[in-house]
Amino acid sequence: MRDVQDKLRATAKDLLASGKVELVLGFEPASLPMRTRACFARTADAAERLVWNEFCSQNLAAYLPRLFEKPAHIRGDWTPPKVAVVTKNCDARSIIGLVKEHQLARENVVIIGMPCQGMVDPEKAAATVDERIAQACLECVSPSPIGADILIEGQSRPAAADRFQRVKDFEALTPAQRWDAFVKEISKCTRCYACRQACPNCYCKSCFIEQSKPSWAGAGDDLADLLLFHIGRMFHQAGRCVECDACVRACPMGIDLRLFTQKLVKDVEELFGYVPGVSLDDLPPLCTFQSDDSECFVTGPGEE
Amino acid sequence: MAQGSIKKADLGKLIEAVRRDGRFFGPIDQGDGACLAEVTPDAVLKLDYANFTLPPKRMFFPRSEVIATHEASGMAAVPVQEGQVVLFGVRPCDALALTYLDKVFVDKQFTDPYYRSRRERTLVISLACREPAATCFCTSVHGAPDGRAGADILAVEVGEALVLESLTKAGEAFMTHHAKLFASPTPAQRTACDAQASEAAKKVSAVPIDGLKAKLSGCAENAGVWDDIAERCLACGVCTYLCPTCHCFGLYDEQVGQTMRRVRAQDACTFPTFTQEASGHNPRTRHGMRMRQRVMHKFCYATENFGDIFCVGCGRCVASCPAHLDIRETITEVSQ
Amino acid sequence: MAFLCNWCSYAGADLAGVSRLQYPTHVRVIRVPCSGRVNPLYIVKALQLGVDGVLVSGCHPGDCHYISGNLVARRKFALLKSFLEYVGIEPGRVQFSWVSASEGNRFADLIQKVSDDIRKLGPARQLKKEAR
Repeated sequence: MRDVQDKLRATAKDLLASGKVELVLGFEPASLPMRTRACFARTADAAERLVWNEFCSQNLAAYLPRLFEKPAHIRGDWTPPKVAVVTKNCDARSIIGLVKEHQLARENVVIIGMPCQGMVDPEKAAATVDERIAQACLECVSPSPIGADILIEGQSRPAAADRFQRVKDFEALTPAQRWDAFVKEISKCTRCYACRQACPNCYCKSCFIEQSKPSWAGAGDDLADLLLFHIGRMFHQAGRCVECDACVRACPMGIDLRLFTQKLVKDVEELFGYVPGVSLDDLPPLCTFQSDDSECFVTGPGEE
Repeated sequence: MAQGSIKKADLGKLIEAVRRDGRFFGPIDQGDGACLAEVTPDAVLKLDYANFTLPPKRMFFPRSEVIATHEASGMAAVPVQEGQVVLFGVRPCDALALTYLDKVFVDKQFTDPYYRSRRERTLVISLACREPAATCFCTSVHGAPDGRAGADILAVEVGEALVLESLTKAGEAFMTHHAKLFASPTPAQRTACDAQASEAAKKVSAVPIDGLKAKLSGCAENAGVWDDIAERCLACGVCTYLCPTCHCFGLYDEQVGQTMRRVRAQDACTFPTFTQEASGHNPRTRHGMRMRQRVMHKFCYATENFGDIFCVGCGRCVASCPAHLDIRETITEVSQ
Repeated sequence: MAFLCNWCSYAGADLAGVSRLQYPTHVRVIRVPCSGRVNPLYIVKALQLGVDGVLVSGCHPGDCHYISGNLVARRKFALLKSFLEYVGIEPGRVQFSWVSASEGNRFADLIQKVSDDIRKLGPARQLKKEAR
C-alpha cells in the first residue's frame, strides 16, 4: 500500500505542478488514529500530505458539487476549477452520477482511480485483518477502478459474489416484522442530516424536508416526520445510490440505512437492469422507460 | 455533605427504592453501546462506557417538544410534567454543561418553565471517569474526570463498589433518605477516588485555551481561516445535536389532525436555513461564516454573556464528525 | 385518496358518475394533469395526514396525453410500491391502476376493490402523525 501512496503523491504533484488541475482532493491523516479526512491540496508541496490506506473510507465526491457552484460573492464571469479527485470505485461512480445529472462537467474533473482492498470499519478495527473490513466493502461487486482518467496500479480485493443476502433475508420476514425493524432503526434518528450531507448524490440545494411553503414534515423528531424524511430521502436515491455507505458511516446513531437503501439498488437492477454510475451513455432509470416495463404492481379491478 | 458507599451488585436495591416514587435512568446497553435510558426491573446497567452518544441535555431540553396547542376552545400552553427523576451515570463533563444551560434557560429575566421544571425534579448522579476517551479534553475547559459542578451526587467506581458524595442539598437529602443502603466509605476508598481522578486527568488531551477569546475577537468573518476549516465540513448537524451545551432552537407551528400545535425544536447553526430570512435572503452566505458562528458562540460570545466557555470537552463532536473535523485542531488553528 | 389523471381516469370517474354506477363513496379524488405528476411524497404525506389508503390511476400505457408520462410514472410506482412494502407498510394501502376515459365500469369496480382491500386492513396508523 506504501508504493501505491507514493505513486499517488507523484501523480498529484505532477497534476498540480503542470497546472492540469488547481486542486487535488484526497485524504490526509485526521487527528485520531485510524482515521483520515479530506485533504484539499492546491500546491505540489501540499500533495505530500496525501495518504492512501485502509482508512480512506469517506466518499469525497460529496464535496464536489459545491466546488463547481459559483460563489455567491463573485459577480460577473467565473470559471469553474479543474479538480482531481482520489477515488475508490464507488466514489468514481458517484462522480459519474453527478456528471450525468449535470452537477458538474466531466472535463472539469480528473478521476484518479485507486486500487481498493476494502476499507476498515472503525467499529471492527480491533478485529483481525479479514474481519475488520466494512460490510459495504465485503459486499462490493466492483472494487477495481473502472472509468478512471488516471489509474494508480495495485491490487484490488476480489469482487463479492452476492451482495443482497441481507435484503433477501429481510424480504422473507412478515410485513409486521419488517415494519417493527424499520421503526426501530429510524426511531434512533436525531435528525442531524449527516446521512444527507455525507451522501454525494444528495446534492439538492434545497432539500424537501426543509421546504416550508408548504412543508412536508414538522421540524421536530416526531416519529412520523422521521419516517417521512427517511422514506423520502432513500427513495430519492433510487437509481442514484452506488452503495458507498457514506450515509451509514456518517450516522452518529448507528442506523442501519444500508438494509433499506440496498433494497432500492436491488430493485433498480432487477426491474430496469440499471447500475448507477457505470456509464455516462445510459439515462437515469427514472427518466426513461421501456414499453415492456413490469406491470406486476398494477391493481386490476377484476383480480383477487 | 453526605458520603456513602454501595456495592455495584447492590445498585439494584437502590434502583428499586427510587422506582417506588419516581423514574430511574441509567446507562443501559441497547445494542450500540451505553445509552441513558429508563431502567426497568430486567435491565442490566452497563458501567464500562466512555460516554453516551447523545448528551443528557435531551432529558431537560429535548430534541423537540410541543409547548402549546390550539384547538376550537382556544390556545393553551402544554402543562409542565411532574414526577421525580433520577439520572445515574451522567459524566462530569455533561453535568458541567447543565450549569451552562441553567444560565441560558433559568435566567433572572427569562425562565423556561419546561427546562426549569425538569431541572428541579431531576436528581443528577454523575459518575467519575476512569478511562477518558482519546477525544476527551475536559481538563482544558474547566472540567475534570471527577468534576463536581452540575451534579447533585458524584459517584466514583472503586473496585466493586461505588463511593458517593453529595454535592447539593437535594443530593444530601437523597443520600439520607436511602441511608440504610449505604455503608460508610473507608479511608482507602477515599484515597483511591482521588488517585483515580488524577490518573484519569493525565490521559485527557490538552487544548490551548488561554487567550483564545482575545484572538477570536480579532478573527473577522472574512478571515480566510474560517473558509479553510469549513472547506472540509460537510455541513450536517452532528456536532450541534450531539453537543451537551448547544441550545439554539426554533419555534414551529404545525397542524396535526384538527389540532394546531407549537413545537420547539433544536436547530443547528451549521445549516444554511438557520439564518435564512423569510424573504429568502441569507446573511451568512458562506459555510465559513456558519463555522465561525459555532466556534464564536461557544468560545467568545458565551464568555461575554455568561462568563463561561460553552464547551465542556466531552469530545462528541470530534468522535462523531463524519468529515473527521476536530474542534481541538480548529481552536489551535484559529489561535495561530 | 385517489390521484386521478385528468385525461383518462378522471374522465373514467366522470363516466361512472353519469352512468349512475354505484361505487363506495369514501373516496376523495384529486385531479392531477398526469399520473407522472404524482410525486411519491404526495403518497407518503397523504398517509402521514391520516388517509387510510392511496390510489393512483392514469391512462393505460401507450395512451398518455403527454405521450410517455405514465410510462415514466410506471417505473417510479413499481419501485415505490415495492419499497413501501419492504419497509413494512401493509400491502394494499397504496395501489396503482390504469383506467381509460371509456372505462366507467372499470373505475367503479376498481374503487370497489381498493375500498374492500383497505376496509379489510382497517385504519392506517403506520405513517400517521398523531396529535397525542
